[in-house]
Amino acid sequence: MTSLSEHLQTDWQAMTANDWIGTVLTVVIFLLMIGAYFFVFRPKNRDRLESMKHIPFDEDNQNTGDQHGRQ
Amino acid sequence: MEASLEQKYNFDVVRWFTVMAVAYLVVGAAVGVYIAAELAWPALNLDIPYLSFGRLRPLHTNAVIFAFGGSTLMATAFYTVQRTCGTRLWSDKMAWFTFWGWNLVIVLAVITLPLGLTQSKEYAELEWPIDILIAVVWLSFTINFLMTIATRKTSHIYVSNWFFLGMMVMIVYLHVVNSLAIPVGLFKSYSVFSGVQDAMIQWWWGHNAVGFYLTAGFLGIMYYFVPKQAGRPIYSYRLSVIHFWALMFGYVWLGAHHLQYTALPDWTGSLGAAISIAMIIPSWGGAVNGMMTLSGAWDRLRTDYVLRFLIIALAFYAMSTFEGPVMSLKTVNALSHYTDWTIGHVHSGALGWVAGISIGAIYHLMTRLYHTEMYSVRLINFHFWTATIGTVIYIVAMWVSGIMQGLMWRAYDEYGTLAYTFVESVDAMHPYYAMRTVGGAIFLFGAIVMLFNVLMTVRKSLSEGSLNKARALPATA
Repeated sequence: MTSLSEHLQTDWQAMTANDWIGTVLTVVIFLLMIGAYFFVFRPKNRDRLESMKHIPFDEDNQNTGDQHGRQ
Repeated sequence: MEASLEQKYNFDVVRWFTVMAVAYLVVGAAVGVYIAAELAWPALNLDIPYLSFGRLRPLHTNAVIFAFGGSTLMATAFYTVQRTCGTRLWSDKMAWFTFWGWNLVIVLAVITLPLGLTQSKEYAELEWPIDILIAVVWLSFTINFLMTIATRKTSHIYVSNWFFLGMMVMIVYLHVVNSLAIPVGLFKSYSVFSGVQDAMIQWWWGHNAVGFYLTAGFLGIMYYFVPKQAGRPIYSYRLSVIHFWALMFGYVWLGAHHLQYTALPDWTGSLGAAISIAMIIPSWGGAVNGMMTLSGAWDRLRTDYVLRFLIIALAFYAMSTFEGPVMSLKTVNALSHYTDWTIGHVHSGALGWVAGISIGAIYHLMTRLYHTEMYSVRLINFHFWTATIGTVIYIVAMWVSGIMQGLMWRAYDEYGTLAYTFVESVDAMHPYYAMRTVGGAIFLFGAIVMLFNVLMTVRKSLSEGSLNKARALPATA
C-alpha cells in the first residue's frame, strides 16, 4: 500500500451483481440514516417527538394507582 | 386502578416467564461457577464426560443467554407491549405456545449438550431439530408481538417496542441463515457453509447475537423500565430514536472483528473495527440518555435499590461498549485475541449490563404482577452488592489474566524464540482462575438470594390474596 489512491483503487470490471447490490444498498441505507438524523434533530419536530416520551405514563395518569399507590 | 389491569391484559404468561427467568439465572450461573472451578481445578470433571468443560460450557452459555435472557426478554416484551399499546396480547394461546415451546427448547438443550450432541457453532450449538423448534417458537413470539402492536390503542409506537421488534426480526434472519445445515441423522448435521465462509457466517451470527439479542432487546427493557422505576420520562426521546436507527444500521457490520489475523480478507476486519469504533457514539448516547433520566433525582439511588440495578447496568453497558471497539482494533486485538481478556469483556457485558438490567426489571415487575411489596427490600440491597462485587472480581481477574496471557504468548528472548511455553502460561493463570470462581460464586449467591426473595414474594401474594383480589376487580378501560 503506497498511496491513498492505490488503497481506494477498485476494479469496476470485476464487480459482480452481488457486489453492486451490496454497494447500492449500503449507500441507500447510509443516506436514509442521514435523513433520520435530519428528521430527528429538525427543530420543527422537537415537540412532537419529545411528547412521545410520556407514553409509558399515559395509562397511569388515567388511573389512580393500586392499593399501594404504585403506578 | 393498576389491579384492574389484570382483567385488561394477559399478565399470567408474563408472571410465568418472570419467575422462570430467575430460576434459570440460578441454574445458568451455577453451571458457570462449576466450569470456572473446573478450569482452576481440572480434577473436578471427575473423569465423567458429561461433566467435562467442553460439554458444560455450551450448557452454561445456552442457559444464561437463551433460558435466563430469553425468558426475561419474553416477560418484559409481553408486559411492555401491552402497557404501552393499551391493548391485550393479540393471542393468549400463542403466548402460551411461546412459553411452553421455549421451555421445551431449554429442556432439550439440557439433555443434548451434556451428551455431546452439538453443531459446534458457538452460541448456536443445538442440533437441527431443535433449531427448527427455536425458529417456530421465536416466530410465534414475534408474530404475537407484531400483531399486538398492530391492534394498539395508541397512535405512536413507543421506542422500547422498536428495540424489541428490531431484535425479533434480526434474530429470525440471523438464526435461520447461521443454522442452515444438511442433516445426516436425527442428531447430526453439517453446516452448508465451509472454511472461511463458515467462520464469517458464524461471527456474523455471533456478534449480532450480542448486538441484537443481548443489546437491542435489553435496551428495549431499559427504555421502559428505567423511566418507570425513576418515575420520570426518558431524558431525550429524540436521542432514543437516533440510538435505535444507528444500532440497527451499524451492528450488522461488526462480526468480522472477531476474525482479525485469520484467513478472512484483511479489509473485512478493518471495516469491522472501523464501524465498531463508530458504534461507541450511539451506544454512549443511549447510556447517557438512560442515566440522565435521573437528572435532578440522583438521591433516589440512595434508597431505591431496584433503580440502582438499572443504573449500574447502564454504567457497565457504557464500559463494555467502549472496551469492545477498542479490542477490535488490530493492534489491541493482537494482544487480546484468544486470551481471557475476551472472557472478562463478555462478562462485564453479560453480568454487568444484561443481568443487571434484567434483575432491575424483574424486581420492578414482581411488585406489579403480584400486587404486593417485595418479601424483603433488604435482600434486594444485599443482592445488589453481591452482584456488583462478584462481577467486578470476575472481570478484574480476567483482565489481569488475559493481558498476562497475551504478553507471555508474544514474549521473545534475545534469540527470537518464545520466552514461555504454553503450559507455563496456563500455570500462571491458576490464581486468576481461582479468583474468577470466587467472583462467580458471589454473583451466584446473590442470584440464589433473589430466587428466594421472588418465591417468598409469590407466597406472600398468595397468602394475602392480593393477586386474586386484583383479578376479581373489573377493568376500567
